[in-house]
This record gives sequence, structure tokens and C-alpha cells, in this order.
Amino acid sequence: MLQKPLFQRLAVGLLPAGFLLVMLAAPVFRLLFEGGASALAGMVGALWQDDYLRWRIVWTFVQAVLTCVVALALGLPVAWVLARYEFSGRTLVLRLLMLPFVVPTLVAALGVLALWGPRGLISGWLGFHLQDTPWLLLYGNLFFNLCVVVRAGVDALAQVSASRVAAARTLGATPWRAFWRVEWPAIAPWLASALSLVFLYCFSGFGLALILGGQRFATVEVEIYTLVAHELKLAEAGALALCMMMLTGGVALLYALVEKRLAAPSRADVIALRRPATLRQGLAVAGAMLVLIVFCAAPLLAIVARAALAGPTAWAVLLEEETRLALGNTLRFSMTALALATVLGLTHALAARHSVWLRASAFLPFVVSPVTVAFGLLLLYPQWTASLPLLVAAYALLAYPFVAKSIGSALDSLPTHLEQAARTLGATPWRSFWRVTLPMIAPALRRGMAFAAATSLGEFAVTLFLSRPEWMTLTTLIYQRLGRPGAANLDGALVLACLLMALALAAFLLIETTQAKAIDNRTQRKINRKKAYHA
Amino acid sequence: MKQRLLSLVLTTSCAMLSWFVAPYALAEELRVLVHNSFSLPKPLLAQFEAQAGVKLSVIKGGDSGELLNKLILTRAQPIADVVFGIDNAQVAKAQAANVIEAYASAPPVRAGAPAVGNGVVAVDYSFVALNYDKAAFAKSGLPLPKTLEELTQPQYRDLLLVQNPATSSPGHVFLLATIAGLGETAAFDWWARMRANGVKVAKGWSEAYYTEFSKNGGTRPLVVSYATSPAAEVFYSKEKITESPTGVLFLKGGVFRQVEGVALIKGGGQHEAAARFIEFMRSPAVQEALQTSMWMFPAEPGTARAEVMRHAVEPASFDSLSSETIAEKDADWVSRWTKMVLK
Repeated sequence: MLQKPLFQRLAVGLLPAGFLLVMLAAPVFRLLFEGGASALAGMVGALWQDDYLRWRIVWTFVQAVLTCVVALALGLPVAWVLARYEFSGRTLVLRLLMLPFVVPTLVAALGVLALWGPRGLISGWLGFHLQDTPWLLLYGNLFFNLCVVVRAGVDALAQVSASRVAAARTLGATPWRAFWRVEWPAIAPWLASALSLVFLYCFSGFGLALILGGQRFATVEVEIYTLVAHELKLAEAGALALCMMMLTGGVALLYALVEKRLAAPSRADVIALRRPATLRQGLAVAGAMLVLIVFCAAPLLAIVARAALAGPTAWAVLLEEETRLALGNTLRFSMTALALATVLGLTHALAARHSVWLRASAFLPFVVSPVTVAFGLLLLYPQWTASLPLLVAAYALLAYPFVAKSIGSALDSLPTHLEQAARTLGATPWRSFWRVTLPMIAPALRRGMAFAAATSLGEFAVTLFLSRPEWMTLTTLIYQRLGRPGAANLDGALVLACLLMALALAAFLLIETTQAKAIDNRTQRKINRKKAYHA
Repeated sequence: MKQRLLSLVLTTSCAMLSWFVAPYALAEELRVLVHNSFSLPKPLLAQFEAQAGVKLSVIKGGDSGELLNKLILTRAQPIADVVFGIDNAQVAKAQAANVIEAYASAPPVRAGAPAVGNGVVAVDYSFVALNYDKAAFAKSGLPLPKTLEELTQPQYRDLLLVQNPATSSPGHVFLLATIAGLGETAAFDWWARMRANGVKVAKGWSEAYYTEFSKNGGTRPLVVSYATSPAAEVFYSKEKITESPTGVLFLKGGVFRQVEGVALIKGGGQHEAAARFIEFMRSPAVQEALQTSMWMFPAEPGTARAEVMRHAVEPASFDSLSSETIAEKDADWVSRWTKMVLK
């Protein structure tokens, strides 16, 4: 290992660390300070005494864990099928997977209810509906999070060493045993990373699940929001936010430790995709598609169908001046946020190789309650709160963990000898990074960027920040329409949601298409070479 | 390809950096903090800018409750010069926090005109009340309830939909309406019986109206909304209709008049332009426009009503609470409601 002094290895992390400090840590501490630090200590104890809040915390925890378990159980087989079998439309499916991320929560709820709600299509067939049940909440969580597990699983399985699996099989291991002893250890860190994201999302999320599950299933974040935004009880809100931060921060740290221990360089021989040959393999592909259709695609299709049925007058909304403004802003903000998120994510991941704390801190933007950040920023930088740079920085803050996590996993499984070889041959560190490391982590970078683009195109917590009418994005325009009564407003919102999805899909294709081809070509070349060698 | 990608990333981040450091062009600028429902025709705002010789910088700060709290938190360094959206339910809280500067030149309130009080100049008002789905009631044959009390009876089980007072402005105001109309004890007693009779709680107005209201695919034919909502239903209908698909019910204890106003922010600058903005909000042009852009009734007496507003009726009578009482007891009421209805 080429050892550099510690400070030099961590220097690259100054940018993300500074960013986190300015955008996240300082505002939160400012808010806690405003609430009164002494009141805080007493509050933490008192909170646990409150039956209602304790029930909220426990429930929030349970639903997040449950979602992780189900997402893994459903997502891993689907990921395995997508990673091992070649079928037409495979790459498109991988891009489409991320669309749930983009759709505004309320529109997603409309899509879900169009199927499972009291007057839904599927409820009509079944004779009962799921509204107000925990099942619909779980469904809503899976709609958003299944894609995270599946995408991570596909990438992880793609870097499993072909020769090791082949060796295991040659030595008589069943496919199941080969999976368990060879593939599973190689992909576990990637899945752990994805599941941590899912857990944190469900834990702090207050979107779709809340609309679908009803107010009784509200998560703690709603409680914090009420305390800050409506009652201005900053001490109580701060205490509650701190409790949640300790809980989720503990999970993040635990994960970082596990990941660092599990991290193992992989070998650069990928398993080639094959076409499903037997009936069983065909059924496996069909089954995976069915899972994705039921959990991810169906609500989106329902939205598209409702918009299509709305008729030409509703589609005229696309020609309005407001829509043009919103479209332009959405593009402008997302691109800037994406660029910033990419730089932050890349530097964070590079620095995090050497520090467990930095590794865990990539989760901070998900761990800290968004409303405390928003109000903390307001307190800390009042003169900047209605400025565009702050808004874009907020977008980037919520988007960059995806890039950091994705690259982090790729760096862990990077074969070390290649970079060492480059250095031995006289390449400077920068040159070996540019010519060796970067090309190898490119797919992960692109996957992270696609997720980051999805978050910046979508809404998440940015609605909590101050805004201006001239900064209208497609998401805010959709919400504006859904803030007024009338059928034309609903139809217009659905059409705009379709536009948003189309835009997002174009962005995903642009970010990832070239890479997919490059990989395929490389794989193909490798296979050809192997064939030639064996012949 | 990778190089191209990275250079793209680098260029964009450079462009963004320049964006960060770009000096802020601070021409004569009037900063106006508004709630998220603020909306006026662009030409009107441009006309104001030309006449007052300032650039309007509109900042949206969330719903009205959130807006006031943001104002209170930043009072040491105000983020705006003038605020629109403080209503009669919050004005005492604003007064206590000392964030409003009384506007001296406001003329005395005319008889019958709504007022916000405490230096806030009334601009518009509306009534939060129950809306019902006409088709659903016609289909079930159930008579429309005549009192809130009737809603606690078995035949009205699982019909009412309200918003969470802790997260929604109309939901909050509706809770105040029940307390104003029935009295505190009777109101909470009513809420307890409504819980037993299946009242449904949604997070906010949009969630309630578009996912749970029977007119839009839900199961509940009674929802808390505004007296102007039926007019908006006609205005935004798909085909031309002459009658609204929804109606409004003014029940004792189920109506609250919300009067919104505009005020100077203490410590804000641009006093002259801010005063002109206050007058602008009271001008006939704005008073006429706001009816169909914000769906409120104009506060200035004698303003011409928009044609579609004939579908929006005003109640003959309603109960109110003093702003001071609200400021004093509001947080307790909301947490008591949460315990009673949600826990």
C-alpha cells in the first residue's frame, strides 16, 4: 500500500466536510442553541416518558425495519435476475426503476390510490381497499425504496468474480451454495449500504407513507415539523430531533463499521449476461418483472393513464408560460445541483476510504431532520435564505449522499493492484486516479449521479425552504395546482407529472446510456478474448 | 467520454461558483414576505413596480402559521420589509413577538368591513366551513346535516374529513371554529364523539381534497374547505357548468372567518415603498383580481365581485374568538386535540 501522511489522505475531504459544516451542522446547532441548551437535557428524558411520543418512535423504527426486510426479500431476487440474464428492454428497465423517486409525493399517492384506494381499479376486482391500513403505508415505502435495493444489487452482482463462481460450481457446489458462499459475501457491503439508505429514508420520511397510512401512522419527523414550524417550541423540537439523530446516527455509524470490515477488493472478471434458456429461467425473468410492475410501475402507469384520459384541454397546460418557466428552472436547478453533488460525492467517497467517521457522515443529510436544517439556516444566514445559491446548495445536500455511497461501495471493491501497477510504472497519483481509478468507478459514479438527478428533479424536503415565485419548478407548479379546487387543476397536475417523468427518464438515459454500452462492449471483448484463449 | 463528462462537471461547477460569488444587484428593492397561496396577475405587479419605482422581491414562506414563525425567528435581522398573510387568528401572537410595526395611515375601519387589528391592514377574507359533494349526498339520499351534533349520529358515520390542525391552516381554523361556536368544553366533547363516529384526519388541504374527498375518488363526502371553493370548482371545471358540484354548509360551530392582512415588518427598510405596497393591496385592481387568483373575498367594501363568485355564498352569521384568547390558548388546544383525536 502506498501510504501518504494522514492529513494528505484526508485533504480531499475538506470540501465535503466544510460543506456539511456550513449547510448542516452549524444550522442545527444554531437551532438547538436558540431553543436553550439547558432545557434540552431535561427534555430528552421527558420525551421517553411521553407514551404518545414513545409509541411514535417505536412505530417509526418498526416500519423502517419492516420495509428494509421486505425490500431485501423482494429486491435481491429481482436484482439477481437483472444482473444475470440478458433480455430485451433490460437496460431500459434499469433506468425506469428510478422514476418513483421523481414523482411528487401527492401525485404518487394519487397513482397508488387509483389502484388500491376505495375506488381503485385493483380494489374493485378484489372487493376491498387498503386505504388507512399499514399495508398501504408499506406499499408506499416499497414503491420509493425497492429501486434503491435493486439498483445496488445489480451493480454489486455485476462485480462478482466470474472465475470464483465458476470454480465453486466446478467443485460441485449447487447454484444456491455458490450464491451463498461466493456471491453473497461479495455483494453484502453493497446491500448494507442500500438498506441503510432505505432505513434512513423510511425513518425520517414524511411523504407518501403519511398520506397513504393516515395521520395515525405519522412518523416522528411530523412531530418535529409541528413543533418547529407551527408551535415554535424549539427546545422540544431540538430534543426530539437530537434523539432521532442519535438513533439514526448510531445506525449510520454501525453501518460504516460493518462496511469497512466487509470491504474486499474484487477481481475484474465479470460474469457474462446470458439469455434465459430454460422455462425456469424464463419464469424467473417474468417473475422479476411482475414484482417491479406491481410495486413500482403500476402507480406510475395509473398516473399516465389518468392524464391521458383527461383529454386535450388538460394537455394544453404544456403550452402555458408558467410551465415553460417551471421547466427551465427545473433543468437549471437540477443540473447545477447535480454538478455540485457529483463533486461533493466524489471527494467525500475518496476521503471516506480512510475514516469511519467520514464514511458515516455521508448519511448525515438523511439523518438530520430537514425542518431543523431549514429553520436553522434561516436563523444562521437570514440574509441568504431567499437566495438561489442556498436553494441549490440545499438540493445538492440532499442529493450528494447517493453519489458518495455509490462511489464508496465501488472504491471498496476496487482491485488495488491496478492502481499500484500504474504508480509503479511512474504515473502520478492524479494520473493514476484519472486513468485507472475513475474509469473503474465510472459506472458507480453514473448510478449515483442518476439517483442524485432524481432527487434534485423531485421534491423531498426542499419545499421547507424559502422560495420565490420566479423559482417555480415543475414540482412546485404541480403542488400549486393541487392547492386549488377544480377538476381542471387536478388534470393539469397529472399532465405536468407526466412531463416531469419524461424529463427524468431523458436525464437517466443521458447519464447512463453510454456507460451501459461501454460496459457491454468491454464485457464482450473480454468474453471474446477468453473464448480465443480457450480455443 | 469520461473526460468529456468530467470537464462538463468541472465547467458547470465553475459556473456555479461564479454564481455564488456574483454580487447581488441591490437596486431599490422591496422585499415582500407572503404565504404560499399568494398569487396576483403579473401585469398588476409590474404596474406597481413601475409606479413605485422599486423592484418587488416576493418571498414565499410556507403556510400562514409557518410564515409568522419564520418572521419571529428572524426578527433580529428581518428577511423582508412588508408581510402579507398575517390573519386575525395570529395577529396577537405577532403582536406579542413584536414583529409588526403599526401602519399609521390606515383609515378607520368602515362599519361592516372585516378587520385584522393591531396595525395589520385587512386585504381579504374567507370562511372556513364544511363543503359537501352534491352527487354523493344525492346518491345516498341522506339529508344534509343541520348541526354539528347530527354528525355524531350513526347515519353520518365515516363521512367527515378534516385536516390536522397541527399541520394545516384550514384544519387549525376549523378547530377554532368549533371552540368559538360550541364553547371549549362542548367542542372537545364533540371532537371525542366524532372520533368515535369515524372522523378522518388528513395532513393538509390538498391531501384531503384530492385523495379522500368523494368528489375526487375518496370515500368522504364532507370536507373542511372554504366558502369560495364551490366557485373555484365552477371556474376550473372541465366543461362549462352552471352549478358547482360541491356546496358549502354553514353550521353553528363550523364556520370561522379568516381575515388576512398586510403589515410593515419591524426593522425592515423601504418604508415609503412598503406603505405604497399596502395601499396597492387595497386598490380596486388588486381587490378585484385576488378574488379569482387567491379565492378570497375582497375586504374593501364596494369592490365589484367577480362573476364566478356568485357561486360563493357568505354565511348570515358566524362566531369568532378574540386574537388574544387564541394566542394564549392555541398551543394547548392543538395538543389537546391531538391527544383526543389522534392518539
